[in-house]
Amino acid sequence: MKSVFGKMVVLLAIFAVILAGCSNGKEAGKEDTPAKGEDANVESKELEVTVFQGGYGDAFWKQLAVNFEKANPGTKVTVTANPDIGEMIRPKIIAGNPPDIVYLNQTDPSGVTQGMIKEHGFTDLTDLFAGNALDEAVPLKDKILPGVLESVYMSPYGDGKIYLAPYNYNVMGLWYNKTLFDDKGIALPKTWDEFIALNQVAKDNDRALFTYQGTVPGYLEEILIPAVYSLGGQEALDQMLNYDPEFWKTETALTALGIFEKIAKEDNALMNGTVALDHTQSQTSFMQGKAMFIPNGNWFEGEMAEAPREDGFEFGFLGIPTFNDNDPLLALNSIEQMYIPKGAANPELAKEFLKFMYTEENVKLNGELTKASMAIVGAADLVADYLSESSYNVFKAVESGMYSMSGNFAPVPTGVNVDPREVLFDQVASIMNDDMTIQEWADKMYDVYSKVAEKKE
Amino acid sequence: MKSKERTAFILFCILPTLLIFSVFIVYPVTQVFIKSMFSSSGFGGNQEFIGLDNFVELFKDDVFLKSLKNTGFLMLVVPVITLFLSLVFASILSFGELREKHLYRTIFFFPSILSFVVIGILWAFIYHPNMGIINEVLNWMGLDQFALTWLGSKDTVLWAIALVMVWQAVGYYMVMYLAGMDSIPRELYEAASLDGANAVQQFFKITVPMLWEIIRITIIFSINGVLNISFVLVIVMTSGGPNNSSQVALTYMYKQAFVNANFGYAMAIAVIVFCVSLLLSFISNKLTEREIH
Repeated sequence: MKSVFGKMVVLLAIFAVILAGCSNGKEAGKEDTPAKGEDANVESKELEVTVFQGGYGDAFWKQLAVNFEKANPGTKVTVTANPDIGEMIRPKIIAGNPPDIVYLNQTDPSGVTQGMIKEHGFTDLTDLFAGNALDEAVPLKDKILPGVLESVYMSPYGDGKIYLAPYNYNVMGLWYNKTLFDDKGIALPKTWDEFIALNQVAKDNDRALFTYQGTVPGYLEEILIPAVYSLGGQEALDQMLNYDPEFWKTETALTALGIFEKIAKEDNALMNGTVALDHTQSQTSFMQGKAMFIPNGNWFEGEMAEAPREDGFEFGFLGIPTFNDNDPLLALNSIEQMYIPKGAANPELAKEFLKFMYTEENVKLNGELTKASMAIVGAADLVADYLSESSYNVFKAVESGMYSMSGNFAPVPTGVNVDPREVLFDQVASIMNDDMTIQEWADKMYDVYSKVAEKKE
Repeated sequence: MKSKERTAFILFCILPTLLIFSVFIVYPVTQVFIKSMFSSSGFGGNQEFIGLDNFVELFKDDVFLKSLKNTGFLMLVVPVITLFLSLVFASILSFGELREKHLYRTIFFFPSILSFVVIGILWAFIYHPNMGIINEVLNWMGLDQFALTWLGSKDTVLWAIALVMVWQAVGYYMVMYLAGMDSIPRELYEAASLDGANAVQQFFKITVPMLWEIIRITIIFSINGVLNISFVLVIVMTSGGPNNSSQVALTYMYKQAFVNANFGYAMAIAVIVFCVSLLLSFISNKLTEREIH
């Protein structure tokens, strides 16, 4: 008995030593990191760049890092690219050891950027854009597309300070199969009435009129935002995007929501089963010829490169119809977001990196490797050679007559637990299933907006 | 003297477990309770103490109430069907004269070794409205009007998810019951059949009472399992849709914590889920208590 007891003591002692060893190691590591970070600030010039790897891939970032290291001897840039980059950097941010540069959109499902906005967790970039560009003697802000830096994407708090940096410029709207429309001589709809009227043509061609990304209904903002703009102009749009509850009492709101009701009520208008499909499934169904239109952005062709499609399928970009015959077609644009988190080890070098990214050479490189266009004046021309045909057509359509508008829901004030944008688009499924009327929808939104408005004051 | 040494020894032995238990269970759970009284985004700064406001808000939040209702539905329906089917299958395999016994045993257990994510994707395609096997078969049989959008309608989506959970878990509990049934003395059945009891009577009068202790444990396992598995399945299959009809408490908590950056609010949801599952385990334990002879 005694010897067993003795053995146990020894065993536990060993266990304790190991544990202590582990925890010591951790402690030491913890103390080490900030010290290293400080060092980096002055000497080693290390930069940690974390990027979202989506439809644009990661080739551009890898190449950009190499070029930056070449242009700035002594610097070392580490690029981490991942489709789930938000989940990967979250613990680092919480632990107070954020990466130097993050490229991740506000709408990312990880919610990291959304949280950073709520948290006021960015380094102020106003001076970066006020300063000169790297390759031209003009302020950097003059190179960015007009209106972008002032938009809620880049200046989320409306205090005149820029906290996020623009990356690629996206244009979104409805897509169709160009081959089908050309072969059958179908006229493209310019208004919502013409759009609904195409239902018969769709039926004749053995397909539904419309489908959308059912379980990810947020895509429908590509329809709703332009529709509100078409009906009520910028004023109504600002009301909706800035959570003015009275907006939902207006005729504009009901007419705009009415688009979805019409699609729900018309036989054959909505593709069977749409509400249950995720974005990949619904987009694949569209390309297989099950529906005539689907909303999506200029990344569509790249995103679906591997997907099966009906014979002769060709991407065609329509834009968004309006409510008035004489108005030009609309399209919604959005801008990909980058930022330097507060507490980044090397913010000055990070700003240099951003500046470097906006040089003409790298805008071209980005076009070549991502097939997209940065939100830079003249970028679309610079990269025209590299764009996929469909996305070139999107940018060209926007240049020739289509009106590309911006609109993004304002950040919700702290203390609000609902995301009004999410509530807004969640209801679409109920409309499509005929469980709800648009009046009930508008009433619900009125309540939600009232809650937000309360906290705003 | 001897008893003192003994106590010291026992304390000594439970110390490591106690330590690990405190660090990995007690500490995080207390943190959940503390964080639930703050308004925070979960990114470190800007924590504001707001007392019980999160809980007050929660009970005014119709999505949360819906998610709680959905969770309750699954907790009620899934264990009952799963455990009943497991018992029936186990007794058929144990007592029935099936030649392919071992084959069935393997097949039934098979879903238990698949990852929940794989199961979710698999069933999302089985339920696919246009090319899923269920609707294809229904259309082929001419029952077009029954080929519904299973995951897209508020009336069917929860049942569809419940079915997947039953399918996944039946084999697992069946194996547990099979092990239990092997230890029931065969003489009891022989005596019963001499007295003229048929198979159904034997099932309810001998098998179920003899397995009662195992059944009690599986009820609690199953209720808690529902809580965890429903999270994965809902995320993979429906993301809570249509219009939150399949939102469960844990998916809503996840969404609030990590998508909407309302960490304190999410922790309040966690507290309620914690209390509810504790309460349910307690109730089911009490209800199924029987004297053991």
